[in-house]
Amino acid sequence: MNKKSILHLDLDTFFVSVERLHNSKLNNRPLIVGGMGDRGVVAASSYETRKFGVFSGMSMKVARQLCPQATVIKGNASTYTHHSHVVTEIIKNQVPSFEKASVDEFYADLSGMDKFFGIEKFAKELRQSIIKESGLPISFGLSQNKIVSKIATGEAKPNAESIVAQGNERNFLAPLAVNKIPMIGNKTYQTLMNLGIYKIETIQQMPVEMLESVLGKNGRTIWKRAHGIDNPPIIPFHERKSISTERTFGRDTIDVVRLHATLVAMTESLAYQLRKGNKLTSQVSVKIRYSDFQTQSKQIKIPYTSADHILIPKVEQLFQQLYSRRLLIRLIGVRFSGIVGGNYQINLFDDSEEMLNLYNSIDRIRNKFGEHSVMRAITLGTKTIGRMGNAFDGAPPIVLAHRKQ
Amino acid sequence: MKFIVSSSYLLKQLQILGGVINNNNTLPILDNFLFDLKQDELTVSASDLETTMSAKLKVDSDSEGKIAVPAKLLLDTLKTFPEQPLTFVAEDNNTIELSSNHGKYALAYAQGEEFPNPVELEDPSSTRLEGDILATAIGKTIFASGNDDLRPVMSGVFFQFSSEGLTFVATDAHKLVKYSREDVTANQSAEFIMPKKPLTLLKGILAGSESEVLIEYNDSNAKFTFDDTELVCRLIDGKYPNYEAVIPKENPNKLTIERNQFLSSVRRVSIFSNKTTHQVRLKIAGAELNISAEDVDYSNKAEERLTCSYQGDDMQIGFNSRFLTEMLNNLTSDEVQLEMSLPNRAGILTPVDGLDPGEKIIMLVMPVMLNN
Repeated sequence: MNKKSILHLDLDTFFVSVERLHNSKLNNRPLIVGGMGDRGVVAASSYETRKFGVFSGMSMKVARQLCPQATVIKGNASTYTHHSHVVTEIIKNQVPSFEKASVDEFYADLSGMDKFFGIEKFAKELRQSIIKESGLPISFGLSQNKIVSKIATGEAKPNAESIVAQGNERNFLAPLAVNKIPMIGNKTYQTLMNLGIYKIETIQQMPVEMLESVLGKNGRTIWKRAHGIDNPPIIPFHERKSISTERTFGRDTIDVVRLHATLVAMTESLAYQLRKGNKLTSQVSVKIRYSDFQTQSKQIKIPYTSADHILIPKVEQLFQQLYSRRLLIRLIGVRFSGIVGGNYQINLFDDSEEMLNLYNSIDRIRNKFGEHSVMRAITLGTKTIGRMGNAFDGAPPIVLAHRKQ
Repeated sequence: MKFIVSSSYLLKQLQILGGVINNNNTLPILDNFLFDLKQDELTVSASDLETTMSAKLKVDSDSEGKIAVPAKLLLDTLKTFPEQPLTFVAEDNNTIELSSNHGKYALAYAQGEEFPNPVELEDPSSTRLEGDILATAIGKTIFASGNDDLRPVMSGVFFQFSSEGLTFVATDAHKLVKYSREDVTANQSAEFIMPKKPLTLLKGILAGSESEVLIEYNDSNAKFTFDDTELVCRLIDGKYPNYEAVIPKENPNKLTIERNQFLSSVRRVSIFSNKTTHQVRLKIAGAELNISAEDVDYSNKAEERLTCSYQGDDMQIGFNSRFLTEMLNNLTSDEVQLEMSLPNRAGILTPVDGLDPGEKIIMLVMPVMLNN
């Protein structure tokens, strides 16, 4: 079999770079992007702040204590999406097949191009053209599979490139810490440390059965990754199997009216997304996180629908059943899954023509003037729940840097 | 208790009755046939508590008795016999012995008294009609009934009897069929909802039959009597939705098209539609009907054009192709008419030809909301 060539591109401190692009005063100064409140978390931090121990995913309160001199910016998801889109377009125009793994990460399949272009030269030129055209720093790793390329990028960062020659994957991986392997999170890392496994080299020397007996099915994948022989395919189109939204309150609450309004706003927004993408859902779930971090969720199967007047009562019903602890609530969320393509099947007896015309008109106004141009009166008090763009365009959901996908 | 009966005659009757028996019963006695022997008349019954069906068989005997015989075991045995006389003898040790030309077989039986008694109808009203008419009425409507446990009334067929005619209606809230006969009438007006299972049984037995069926009914039960067979069933309790109100009265857009052509086009195009929602789009402009479907997830797409005769404004309407094919399949006419008003109102499908005098069918199908 011919060896593949997979390029991994990663925009360095993406949110920070975008902010600096818009405001050059922020260059070379410590900068943190993330939620501003006490509940906020760090979504991205510049390299200047990392010296102080700031990393994405940590609580903003802690980050501020560690690095009081840093500028903190709330960030604006739509600008990030826009810049991400610019970069996507540049890549799309130059490579045969690519995968957008998140807002700031791309994989491109360059297999077979070596004969004609020299892929190393091609990758370097691609990187330069992205830097030139978008003004954002980017790093890349090039090897024969996604995993090694990603690790290579991580090693090269910031604003650099790394090429792992074919056949050299094992040697490249050997001296690295085991948690560099994607898939090894905190928990697995702990398990491996307890076993005395610190370096990837150690895994390479172990028989696969041993790892499998400790980590189960994942053990085999991790073992393969450690040898640089795990070859997941490039996925050019991410099919959305569910859409969801959730909100952490600035302060824990039992204000039932507000909770209710938030749920309705969430359902309304998600249902609009369904209709816009010509989709129907068959499963609704509601999630509650109490102030003691206990998280509960409940789901219900329903006939395929995208209609507000069916979904909202279901969500309310689930919330009623779920919220029983008389405890402050920290977070609530709504998720629609079991999504298929299609339009709402009108019911002979339950749907009135007025209702259907109302949906049509509301959606038309929203398509023209934006999602928040028309909304239920009850949801007026809820802040900006909803998203821009099409949830079903094949792009991966926007996930903040610290969240695991 | 002892009787002699022809194996194929017995099998034929038992197979019909066997349709009543559920696969998993809460009451074990319901896994049996009840054999009630009175001289040369053997009455065999089967029940699932909701529905009880019994048939009278002529046998050769001069004894009496009442026992419950395991249905599956008996049917499986009878199926293997070529035509021959069989002798059944009930022994004292709770087994019934069956002797054929080939040998002997013993089945354990239960006491006939354990078998639930069929409901007796109190002061019933009654109507008579030909078996085939009933079977046709059931066949035309039953496919449109629903399966939603939350709305049990829609899981049956609504019978409306009056002095002007008989009407049968079924709907699952997405499609609706109304089948009426003006040539058959009832003395008293009555309305009741029949569950699906006994109707399926009746349809199977009565198709093509010329014998007269006596229908007796009161508020809670109905009884169908024909030939030597009797079927008693419980009715679905509840109020049937006001279906007349949802049939649109004014439908200015009228499409007339050859049924078979329309059916095969919809079938073909729907192969390319989404595998779960089966949606197709009809675009009608001038004398051209354009049927298209798309499955975005797999990039499958199809489009067909048919000539039709059309009166009305150009329009686009989306339907679940399953409903359309079911309905078109159920009709037998050469041509059908589809009447529509707006893309979010019901389409009305009617046969143009091929109806018996006094027969009338209206099929209603709700569209899906297309957004453009």
